[in-house]
Amino acid sequence: MPAASLQHYFDARGWQPFDFQKQTWTAYLAGKSGLLHAPTGLGKTLAVYLGPLAESRGTHCQVLWLTPLRALAADTLRALREPLAVLAPGCEAEARTGDTPAALRARLRKKLPHTLVTTPESLSLMLTHADFAEKLTGLRCVIVDEWHELLGTKRGVQTELCLARLRAWLPQLRIWGLSATLGNLTEARHALLGSSFADSVEVTADIQKPLVIETLIPKEIDRFPWSGHIGTRLAGQVADEIEKANVTLVFTNTRSQTEIWFQELLAIRPRWKDKLAMHHGSLDRSERDHAENGLRDGSLKCVIATSSLDLGVDFSPVDQVIQIGSPKGVARLLQRAGRSGHQPGSVSRIVGVPTHALELVEFAAARDAALARNVESRTPLKKPLDLLVQHLVTCAIGSPFEPDAMRREIQSSYAFAELTDTEWQWSLGFISNGGAVLASYPNYHKARLEDGRYSVDDKRLIMQHRLSIGTISSDPAVSIKFVNGHTLGTVEESFIARLRPGSALIFAGRQLTLVRFHQRTATVKAAARAGKGQVAIWGGSKMPLSSELSHAIARRLHGHGGPSLEMAAVEPILAIQRKWSRLPADDSLLVEHVRSREGEHLFFYPFAGRLVHEGLAALVAFRISRESGEAIHTTQNDYGFSLTAKRGLVLDEETLRSHLTAENLLDDLVACMNTAELARRQFREIARISGLILQTPPGRKDRSQREVQASASLLFEVLDRYDPDNLLLVQSRREILEKQLELTRLTSVIQRLEAAPMHLVETANLTPMAFPLWADRLSATHSSGDAASRLEAMLRTLNVAADSIRQAPAKKSMAES
Amino acid sequence: MNPFSDIPSISLLPEGAVFLSDSATLIVADVHLGKSAAFRAQGLPVPEGDTVRDLQRLLELARKSHAAQLVVAGDLFHAPSGITPLLETAVADFIAELGLPMTLVAGNHDVKLRQIPSQIHAVANLELGESIRVIHDPAHASGDKLHISGHWHPVVRIPDGRRTSLRLPCFLNRNNTLVLPAFGSFTGGAILSPAPDDRVFVAIRDAVIELPAALIS
Repeated sequence: MPAASLQHYFDARGWQPFDFQKQTWTAYLAGKSGLLHAPTGLGKTLAVYLGPLAESRGTHCQVLWLTPLRALAADTLRALREPLAVLAPGCEAEARTGDTPAALRARLRKKLPHTLVTTPESLSLMLTHADFAEKLTGLRCVIVDEWHELLGTKRGVQTELCLARLRAWLPQLRIWGLSATLGNLTEARHALLGSSFADSVEVTADIQKPLVIETLIPKEIDRFPWSGHIGTRLAGQVADEIEKANVTLVFTNTRSQTEIWFQELLAIRPRWKDKLAMHHGSLDRSERDHAENGLRDGSLKCVIATSSLDLGVDFSPVDQVIQIGSPKGVARLLQRAGRSGHQPGSVSRIVGVPTHALELVEFAAARDAALARNVESRTPLKKPLDLLVQHLVTCAIGSPFEPDAMRREIQSSYAFAELTDTEWQWSLGFISNGGAVLASYPNYHKARLEDGRYSVDDKRLIMQHRLSIGTISSDPAVSIKFVNGHTLGTVEESFIARLRPGSALIFAGRQLTLVRFHQRTATVKAAARAGKGQVAIWGGSKMPLSSELSHAIARRLHGHGGPSLEMAAVEPILAIQRKWSRLPADDSLLVEHVRSREGEHLFFYPFAGRLVHEGLAALVAFRISRESGEAIHTTQNDYGFSLTAKRGLVLDEETLRSHLTAENLLDDLVACMNTAELARRQFREIARISGLILQTPPGRKDRSQREVQASASLLFEVLDRYDPDNLLLVQSRREILEKQLELTRLTSVIQRLEAAPMHLVETANLTPMAFPLWADRLSATHSSGDAASRLEAMLRTLNVAADSIRQAPAKKSMAES
Repeated sequence: MNPFSDIPSISLLPEGAVFLSDSATLIVADVHLGKSAAFRAQGLPVPEGDTVRDLQRLLELARKSHAAQLVVAGDLFHAPSGITPLLETAVADFIAELGLPMTLVAGNHDVKLRQIPSQIHAVANLELGESIRVIHDPAHASGDKLHISGHWHPVVRIPDGRRTSLRLPCFLNRNNTLVLPAFGSFTGGAILSPAPDDRVFVAIRDAVIELPAALIS
């Protein structure tokens, strides 16, 4: 009985295996696949790895370990090599990721180690090598680490497709996933295992690490802002908290906020100069390594980070986590809290720092939901055809495939289980002759159909394809370098383009001066004197509040949950809201109407997260202005949305209801959101994955490739005009609605609102709930019409302004505006 | 419209071309014929569609403007790999139907071709009278006469609202060099970073207008 050797392994160390560990390897040794969910730092690595080690034979490759982040590979290797050396002496574990040096990569091409740690991209890349299947004949098990991170992303689907391929090669293969707590664990397991879901198991570690969620209470709530998101007002109190702990990890919600808080804390405690570091996704690897190593060896006092540090890596010395601003979701708060207290017997502790008053409620609510383990689900993606065509080319490069067998294999994955004939035929066409309309694609072929099998043999195409794998999400960015060539990281071009040489900027925690900006490189030098510079900003989506958390907030507002410091502190503000209007809830809809110098405002509070509110705001504005003809400005946040117009917003409940109906929802959304323009932007990612856009090899300028470079938006136009049924266009429209507006959630929210009672309140002043929406300067204006009429309108406005200046040059109001 | 008071014969056409009335010369730039074929030759599934239509538009424009000669300010063709038999036939038909002398000021893309069809007169640059020189790359402008060029595919971005903007192909006059918008449909464009003293012209409905500097970001 091989499990006996595992008991020895524990006995020799004076350890006692947890029940979930025994359950996992027993199920594994019984030939089952499954999903294990357990908090980090509790030995889940051992739980899934010991089974395969117990039945290890020989030194050939037997275990594939997939990790979502290549940065985790080194730590994972360390964790795996220890039991490997004891239980399978003489066997090796190696990592093959994008960071692997060429020499090791060449060695791994010749012989795979007993355990190979790799990423979904690298696995996909290895599928293009003809002898990969042969090298894997002894493979018994694939372990997918942090599956919850991959689930719901395109890289998750890439993983599903790779696993389908491996299952087709090795029907006995066992697949195990590791996941943090999710609201839909069963679906997560189904997505991971595809057709082998039926006989699989779910193992839960029934151990909860002690968790403490606290909130910094502002000393003077009356002076505390009602809105904002930078909120450094509590920086002094935060510095005191950092002082008290040994090593603190400070999480923010955006990269800009990270930069701002770094500057702020440094200003308060200049002596922390060498003890403070920052970490976010746009910083160069060496900058991030500095922060990670400092956390690992405890030489830093504090690291300020974004979600780039949410994952995996074990930083034992960290004994406190601080969350700046809204936690946005329950799972995220739990994950971040779990970054502290890794030492046995210690407690995970997270301190919430509100940036405006209502976030006090959010932290109280997040604690309610976190302690009840009422966490969010992650919905797996269905049928992203860009990934399917990429994968089909990958497979065809590896070895010629027969279409019917390949279709069965693809449909054995969860993502493509419901693939239709049309979609399948179209995908085959896309990789072989361009699509259904043969005449539109003369002389095109990527894969060749010979003797009933698809293959790719053109060396140049193969090279290009390999480059395109693994670039699922990498937008072109401007790199920031010192004059001496040292790279600091990347920013978006739109930010750098606004600066002129000589301008000051703040990046990577440094005060810098821009020297020049040329061809995707911004050269900088240290600023001569300290001063205020522009903090680098990045676009990209701000994460919306999750349904679970907004529901918990609504409950808190209505007195559910025990007494808490947060609710006591925020009470004076809630009292004003109650007095002037009423408290919003999520089983009814509060609408406030107020007049101001600007005109009229309507405020709606559906509690459905920022993205859904953006969609609802556009929708209602569109429907009202279709009748009134008035231009309407909209803003939104996680609690609600606002409409502002000169006039025409005095509406009765019946009219409002008619604008909040699910009838014609999709058509009206498409009409009002300028979805064509949005879809064009989404198409960039799809074009890159499906191989419509070529990747330039890093560090090389291939002149011949310049002839075949076109922007995604240009390709979108061409396809739209000459191949409008191209399924990639359909996909980009669908993805953009889901990504920009959370269409699924929006639909269920609007159905909820249709059935819920409405409270329409006329208020004299902006209420505490309304104020943040009013103050949001990022409002959108709904402009309509084609380019010519928009331009004409602008020229008219300009002329009117010019005329009024000529007529009344001394008028004071002009100078003010 | 005519932006140059000292050259009365010049006008900018809304189709993205320049017309010189004294010599009845029609000038366009950056047609990039065969671009989608070049993509397909490299295994990128881009549909065919523009080549024939672009030539048709050019033919109609020549008729409508009563041109006596056609000048292309570079990049009539995209790449050697895009020169398919289909394209060769389409170009031969076009030249026959056009029935006008045609001059190509060879652009960086044209010079890679093994040969330019013999009916097209290919030159490095072209003097049109005393005051105008046609070149491809604005960087090669020299002397104080007006240069008419292409190569940049200029596009202007006009913010109209807090989060939206228009992108329009445009004529750009900078340092006495007039840069034409790309004529080809599958060409894309480069958003220009405005410099002081730039003059920018866009087509709006059937007219070309000069954009007030206040509208350009």
